[in-house]
Amino acid sequence: MDQFIEQIVTGLSIGSILLLVALGLSIIYGSMGIINLAHGEFVMLGAYAAWVFHTYLGLGLLASLVPIFLVVAAFGWVIERYVLSLLNNRPLDTILATWGVGIMLQQAVRLMVGSELRYVQLPPALSDSMSVFGIPVSSYRVFLFVVSIALFGATWLLMNRTTVGMKLRAIIQDRSVAASFGINAKRVYALTFAYGAGLAGLAGALVSPLKSVSPDMGTGYVVDAFMVVVLGGVQSLAGTVASAFILGELSGGIAFLQNDTVAKAIVLLAIVVLIRFRPEGLFTARVRA
Amino acid sequence: MPSHVPHSSGLQRLIAQLAPLLIVCAVVFALPVLLNNDFLLNKVARYLVLGILTVSLGLSWGFGGILNLGQAMSFGLGSYAMAMALKLKTVPVHTGASGLPDFMVWNNVQHLPWFWEPFRSLSFAIAAGLIVPALVAAALGWFMFRGRVTGVYVSIITLATMVVINLVIIDQQSYTGGFNGITDLAQLEIFGVAFDAYGRATYYLVAGCVLLSLLVAFAFTRTKAGLIVQAIRDHESRVRYFGYDVALYQIFVFALSAAIAGLAGMLYTVVMEFASPTFLGVQLSLSVVVWCAVGGRQSLVGAFLGAVLVAGMQGALSESAAFLETWTLVMGALFVLVVLFLPKGLAGLAQVVLRWIVQRRHAAGRGVAQGVGQTEGST
Amino acid sequence: MSSHLDLRDVSVSFNGFKALNALNMSVRKGELRCLIGPNGAGKTTALDIICGKVKPSAGTVSFDGTALQDLEEYEIARTGVGRKFQVPSVFRELSVSENLDVARARRTSVLGNLRWNIGNAGRADVERLAELVGLTDQLDRPAAYLSHGQTQWLEIGMLVAQDAELILMDEPTAGMTAQETRKTAELFARLKGKHTLIVVEHDMGFVKAIGDVISVMHMGQMLAEGTAAEVEAHPEVRRAYLGSGGISHA
Ligand SMILES: Nc1ncnc2c1ncn2[C@@H]1O[C@H](COP(=O)(O)OP(=O)(O)O)[C@@H](O)[C@H]1O
Ligand SMILES: [Mg+2]
Repeated sequence: MDQFIEQIVTGLSIGSILLLVALGLSIIYGSMGIINLAHGEFVMLGAYAAWVFHTYLGLGLLASLVPIFLVVAAFGWVIERYVLSLLNNRPLDTILATWGVGIMLQQAVRLMVGSELRYVQLPPALSDSMSVFGIPVSSYRVFLFVVSIALFGATWLLMNRTTVGMKLRAIIQDRSVAASFGINAKRVYALTFAYGAGLAGLAGALVSPLKSVSPDMGTGYVVDAFMVVVLGGVQSLAGTVASAFILGELSGGIAFLQNDTVAKAIVLLAIVVLIRFRPEGLFTARVRA
Repeated sequence: MPSHVPHSSGLQRLIAQLAPLLIVCAVVFALPVLLNNDFLLNKVARYLVLGILTVSLGLSWGFGGILNLGQAMSFGLGSYAMAMALKLKTVPVHTGASGLPDFMVWNNVQHLPWFWEPFRSLSFAIAAGLIVPALVAAALGWFMFRGRVTGVYVSIITLATMVVINLVIIDQQSYTGGFNGITDLAQLEIFGVAFDAYGRATYYLVAGCVLLSLLVAFAFTRTKAGLIVQAIRDHESRVRYFGYDVALYQIFVFALSAAIAGLAGMLYTVVMEFASPTFLGVQLSLSVVVWCAVGGRQSLVGAFLGAVLVAGMQGALSESAAFLETWTLVMGALFVLVVLFLPKGLAGLAQVVLRWIVQRRHAAGRGVAQGVGQTEGST
Repeated sequence: MSSHLDLRDVSVSFNGFKALNALNMSVRKGELRCLIGPNGAGKTTALDIICGKVKPSAGTVSFDGTALQDLEEYEIARTGVGRKFQVPSVFRELSVSENLDVARARRTSVLGNLRWNIGNAGRADVERLAELVGLTDQLDRPAAYLSHGQTQWLEIGMLVAQDAELILMDEPTAGMTAQETRKTAELFARLKGKHTLIVVEHDMGFVKAIGDVISVMHMGQMLAEGTAAEVEAHPEVRRAYLGSGGISHA
């Protein structure tokens, strides 16, 4: 019984990290139709930003979160404005362009700070552990769980209860109609992309104390995040949450049962089968023929 | 009737389109005369092989609109087919007449696995190097295109499939040589000609295959089927309403492209003298996309040159790690710029420049004979 | 004379909205049928059903005795159904002549089409088609460079090239000048008899010029059928068009 609960709690912790990492990708993919292959690099930038703030400015992780969000969001804004907005109606080219941008970011970081692994300290206030359902869990993981849910809530409110969110949804429905109502699609897109990038940066900063930081750390994250989004369904924030936690529980289970290679192969095959048979994701109702 | 302005005839147009291809191949064949250095020649042969691989991607991406991010899968399968045959040729030397490849011995494998058996025949291996990639691609194509998977999703499925096969190869060390690949190979020998990786024969073999694959790919694009494939790229559903089974055409071009990539893979094993899981790795597969985009995805010769030039440049710079790192950054930037501003790559740019020159000459000539040329102007 | 194309109780719904509601229609061989109706009446959807773009949730479509509703689009096309779309649909990166060539779908199998395509027999055919739709001077230009009217013409030419028995035209004259519209009417008159045509149109002048029988759709159903005069006099038709200024301004 204890082991079962432990498994569940581990799954929740993995799921909350997946949610953190996938949220930004989900927003961008769902609203702009762009598969942002530079997403992993935004995560990486966030992690390095945490390291820089800590090492050079002596700023703790929690204090750095807001500036990190802003810095990475600014990166996203620039990339949307000067790269992606030039690629209207060329979806294949957007994934190529974002991939190229990803390479550049990765390489630039490598040239500037080297490819050594970097480490970020846990916030001292959260470095102990607490008991969840009788299982000792590190306080930081509980904190991540809470933050991921909070960020999801904030994002949901942003999309559904604010003017920017409403404009965005109008543009998703029909860009030309939205434009005729005076909605500036360009600006809204740039803001959306920046927000998604900022979320990725936050995710990177938040996971940095758990894993080492390196220039190529993003690659793994972008695959995970993509998996979450595909499973959850494009344009469905709630689906993203559900799939993040389902995958969290599953990957806990699979890693427990199998070796790593098999787990990876299964995940990839699952993506393939899912795209083929349910490209709209598991948690969205089928709409339109 | 105004329609009897002499349109350039089919034959003339054919010659004009073939000219760049033939010129490039002539240079490839002439290179050993200028380059009297076996080591360098081997390097060039390597880039030529990568050029063939990139042509194969150009065929499916540039003409068929199928962005296969797992193109290296077919390349790797071809390269393993060749390596398995060449490995078995070393068996009597290393482990006795009825022995096993060395890495199997190390892994305590008792018998040669059934799927290795037929590779004792070189002809079988060469056929397999073409047919296996084509069949795998056809099966994957059937899975995707029958389900009307398009665009970005095709890219993701192809990439994921390649990674799965790569993982399996690395995982099944006792049958595949795992992470190390298959090394210590015998020399390829066909009709008594030995193909030493650093010999002239190998270079000309590669050059011959460059010519062959460019011609095959070109010939396909000139058939009606090739035209229909391009129509599918432009507007998939429209093609359907003319009665063409779109999926079959996509499967065909996908498989043809895989067979060409398989050929390149076999040659790569001969030139490199080993096969490795990196040959069907993400890194190589994505590099091919870059080369193809830079050279020009809708031009076979462009794609070929893109690979040879960019990979060659990279090879030249790889002597110094610092250079290579900067180069990767520059490549990333170049790639983004090409995607943004030159969707047809350098070949597209060359076309624009050529047309501009021709038009200027035309205009100069027309100054004399004003008013005649009204009906012309189509290029 | 028996009917050539038969739609029986065809229904379709999009997210619960019934775009077609037990639609019935039959067309005789060689007839030129005009299909009119207010915006959103379901005209485009009716054509989509026939060519297989949309599958009916109920009802049957039979053409020349073949049940179409369960076939794939390409199979339907092979039974002799051609379709022109409301949004002109051509291959933008291909030249005009290549567009016409693709549409000449005598052979449809991959292997059958693996022969070289430089022959001059096909070229003559393509040139004849281009002349028919007035694009002779544009043969070697990419379709992307054509004007809106020319693109419409190209697609019409592609349908002639396809040589389908049943041709479905969705608003073929949209965006054409009065003169171009007149030329289109002439072309349709020539196709009539050899082909069966269903033409969706808004322009009543055009409809009167070409149509034998006019079918009027409203809210996914067939409202009336008959000659122009009969239809215009029909009380329900008048009611359906009420507020949109009468039938000729739909
Ligand atoms: N794919 C679709 N999804 C949802 N609604 C649709 C779709 N296609 C058509 N409709 C709706 O069906 C109705 C009929 O449309 P349509 O056949 O295009 O009308 P018409 O061509 O007569 O103007 C319209 O109300 C339209 O909004
Ligand atoms: Mg309509």
